[in-house]
Amino acid sequence: MEFIINYYNYIIVVIIMMLGLWGMLALSNLVKKLISMAIFQTGIILFYISMGAKKGASIPIIKQAYDEHHHPIHQTINNMDYANPLTQILMLTAIVVGVATLGLGLALTQRVYSEHKSLHEDEILESLS
Amino acid sequence: MILGFDIICLSLILLCAVLALCIRDLMGSVIVFGAYSFLMCVVWACNGAIDVAFTEATVGAGVGTVFLVSTIYSTTRMDTFKKNRLLKQLFMFVVVCVVGALLLKTVTDLPQWGDANSPANTHLSSYYIENSIDQTHVPNVVTSVLADYRGFDTMFETCVVFVAFIGIFALLRIRKSKSKKAATNQPTTELTLPPHQEVDSLIIKTASHLMVPFMQLFALYVVAHGHYSPGGGFQGGVILGASLILLAVSYNFKKALSILSEKKIILLVSLGVLIYAGIGVICFFLGGNFLDYSVLHKILPATDPIMARSHAMLGVEIGVALTVMVSMYGIYLSLSSNGRFDKGL
Repeated sequence: MEFIINYYNYIIVVIIMMLGLWGMLALSNLVKKLISMAIFQTGIILFYISMGAKKGASIPIIKQAYDEHHHPIHQTINNMDYANPLTQILMLTAIVVGVATLGLGLALTQRVYSEHKSLHEDEILESLS
Repeated sequence: MILGFDIICLSLILLCAVLALCIRDLMGSVIVFGAYSFLMCVVWACNGAIDVAFTEATVGAGVGTVFLVSTIYSTTRMDTFKKNRLLKQLFMFVVVCVVGALLLKTVTDLPQWGDANSPANTHLSSYYIENSIDQTHVPNVVTSVLADYRGFDTMFETCVVFVAFIGIFALLRIRKSKSKKAATNQPTTELTLPPHQEVDSLIIKTASHLMVPFMQLFALYVVAHGHYSPGGGFQGGVILGASLILLAVSYNFKKALSILSEKKIILLVSLGVLIYAGIGVICFFLGGNFLDYSVLHKILPATDPIMARSHAMLGVEIGVALTVMVSMYGIYLSLSSNGRFDKGL
């Protein structure tokens, strides 16, 4: 039980990634393939975010104290008090780029559909041959 | 960081992922995928990644779902079922199970969830947390790392969005001149009204008219206040884009293009990247490195090198917001009208 609680996020990461991979390989509908790709991507993002989480830590916005003249008071900042910002920024940009690539994939899907009148891999292959 | 909540949400996420892949109606599977994204956003908030949660809520759950719906609208809605696909699916299931089992075996080698002393949490990230206030005066470490310490990374991510937009535009736009005939007899789906029947609802128009100014004001706040609270260029830009998409959905394409014509869309997308790269080049000419904002205090009035970094970050965020806003809007217009820019959702 202890094992499952400590590693639950990582276990879910593996399952989500494998679901996405299965969808990309096995499903023949192109839109569903793209949804699987997005699911695979969230699996990777979840992996990074779980890496950066710290027990008992706050969000990575530093609490700044000010004196009566509104000048910041110098204070020692403890690394343990704030969640890891580095993994977060890597994933933040990955999400935005992910949706841009999803859009590109959808545009390709529309082009394929307008040529072959089908979204299915096997039917498209048939009409190609 | 509530672990129990995290576990419940992750279990629901798993359910949503399975459903999204299994539902045969594509519309249903897209909506379930939207729910999946929202649950994911809750999980990220639980893990302390508030900026990522914000981005996921706006990008993944909001605009991503809109893109998928507009593709279904311009293609087809039903996923047909054939028995001869089952064998392949079963075979792939076995393959994926083997890969998954191998990956699960390595899970125990990873640091435990929430371990503050794991390698990922100690080396570089602690430097950012400890020095962000002293070096840049920005309390939100995510913003300072995004726009300053890792400025190159963000610049090229913006370029990726720009290139993806240009790709979509070129892919779908090309057909107009080539075969106009093929484009005109597109089959209309049962999903919505046929495109020529314009939806003219007073309630929707008035409601969106009232909402759009507040959405845009909020988006500007998100961009400008990204230094102190969750938010920044990416999130604010997507909200701005979403407000334009709302107008395009509730009115028609004519109205949408009167706000931002095709020419303006392309110009503004490039302008955003130019602002970002331009700030880098100005630093160059002032004697610093590319994107080394501290030298900007020579031209910005009443600043020291530290405040110059803070101000330059705002400029960079504005460039990002511009590119993201216009590219999201342009991608929506291209996808929902199948590249014809005449009528859509």
